[in-house]
Amino acid sequence: MKLIHRLLGIEAQDIDGLSRQILMPVGFALAVLLLWEGVTHVFSIKEVLLPAPSAIWSRLQESLPVLLQHAWPTAWESVAGFLIASVLGIGLAALLSASHTMRSMLYPNVVLFQLIPKIALAPLFIVWLGIGFESRLAFSVFISFFPIVVATLAGLDNVDKSLLRLCRALTASNWQVFASVRLPHALPYVFSGMKIATTFAIIGVIVGEFITSQAGLGYLILFASSQADTALILATITVLCVFGLVFYGLVALAERWTRTRFGA
Amino acid sequence: MNPQPEWLQTRSTADDRGASYLSIQDVNKTYRTRNGDVHAVEHADFDIDEGDFVSLVGPSGCGKSTLMSMIGGLETPTGGRILVGGAPITAPRRDFGYVFQDPTLLPWKSVLDNVLFPIRTQKRVVADYLAEAERLLRLTGLWDFRDKRPAELSGGMRQRVAICRGLINDPRLLMMDEPFSALDAITRDDMNLALAKLWDEVHKTAIFITHSIREAVFLSDRVLVMTARPSRIVADIRIPFARPRIDTMQDEALFSEICAYIRDEIHQAHDKHVSR
Repeated sequence: MKLIHRLLGIEAQDIDGLSRQILMPVGFALAVLLLWEGVTHVFSIKEVLLPAPSAIWSRLQESLPVLLQHAWPTAWESVAGFLIASVLGIGLAALLSASHTMRSMLYPNVVLFQLIPKIALAPLFIVWLGIGFESRLAFSVFISFFPIVVATLAGLDNVDKSLLRLCRALTASNWQVFASVRLPHALPYVFSGMKIATTFAIIGVIVGEFITSQAGLGYLILFASSQADTALILATITVLCVFGLVFYGLVALAERWTRTRFGA
Repeated sequence: MNPQPEWLQTRSTADDRGASYLSIQDVNKTYRTRNGDVHAVEHADFDIDEGDFVSLVGPSGCGKSTLMSMIGGLETPTGGRILVGGAPITAPRRDFGYVFQDPTLLPWKSVLDNVLFPIRTQKRVVADYLAEAERLLRLTGLWDFRDKRPAELSGGMRQRVAICRGLINDPRLLMMDEPFSALDAITRDDMNLALAKLWDEVHKTAIFITHSIREAVFLSDRVLVMTARPSRIVADIRIPFARPRIDTMQDEALFSEICAYIRDEIHQAHDKHVSR
């Protein structure tokens, strides 16, 4: 994840920096793949146990239409879940930051909920919302919501006390303090929460698909597993990784744009 | 004991009180803590005339910042009262300007936008203040940096931005709470010269808090010397130097004499406290 962030952040870096940040990690990953390839051939490991990277790659190419067809529901459900979670998360954090009463009532409970292994609650969402996309979407929102709330609230709270004193001296209203000081200050925090939330949103959808679904990459993994098609499992996971990286990269781009436009 | 020098002022008598722009009348501030009451300010009692640059000088913990916060309406006295033009202060006033120890600039805003921040916050028309912003930034040598972010500026430049911001709404009183104490000695000297020069242009009433005696004497029309425990004002000095203030003023015998007097006052009070 850091790599992608750096990739997006390349400015005038010298060759040494470039090699440290890109060539070295990529080179190491390639070496591991080569070793993997070699080991599977030398020890003639069965493909059902561990297919070689080349086998996964050819499986990926031949099944690409199926993979893309199943990638679509997973992608839109996790992006939608993420967006809803962002709106709700930032909204709740703003509420908690603005109202002492709300904070006393809700924040300890938010923290407590953080501690629950949320994946264990997934079947409940199926019970409540059925086996359609609604339950997966709701679960994705539920699981990706918390990192955004916690990070945003930290950003809103963490404002320099002397800035708040200045605002008081200038007779700024609470709304002005929020809009012109707290929120811009919180932006980097909000985005770090959102970046974590991208992964969580995908996890939410995949778990939902594991439990009950007729489509999606999670479904495809389960299906391939029932067929003992290990190469397809790993090809599907490769597609998931690419999607996760693109998703994260888009949020990182949105962050750069927002921060040059509005904030720190 | 030597006869009193003419620059040392006696306390104002009770009957001419209230005629001044700012009147601090027997003001106390006591904080209640678990370990008993802390008397941050005791019996502060003085007037400030419009147009005077007044420094409060004293050691750390003598309550000068608390006193300024009360004058600024950021804290409420536990005793006595503070009048501005005859009316008591109850909250921060829009015709005051503030400069704090930290520049407290918004890191994501440009220099110009930081200077205009009070205007936007107080919902005034920004266009009416652009010329004033340009004038202040030019006077402080910052106009070429107007589009920079605070992180791109030096500490001294940032504090100059904060002073411009404090002056942008044409305040009747500018309050500066140790604005240069975080700067290195050389930058601080430069800032003193810059501030003295600026004051020749803006002619405002100012309250300036510092623990540098030389800084106070160099910049001010009047210096109030405060001591800690009990927190009180022990000397009131009218600085007998004309404006514009120039650097060489600090080499004059009278300048050193006044500084020495202030230092003695502070040390005497401190020794008394220690030997008690």
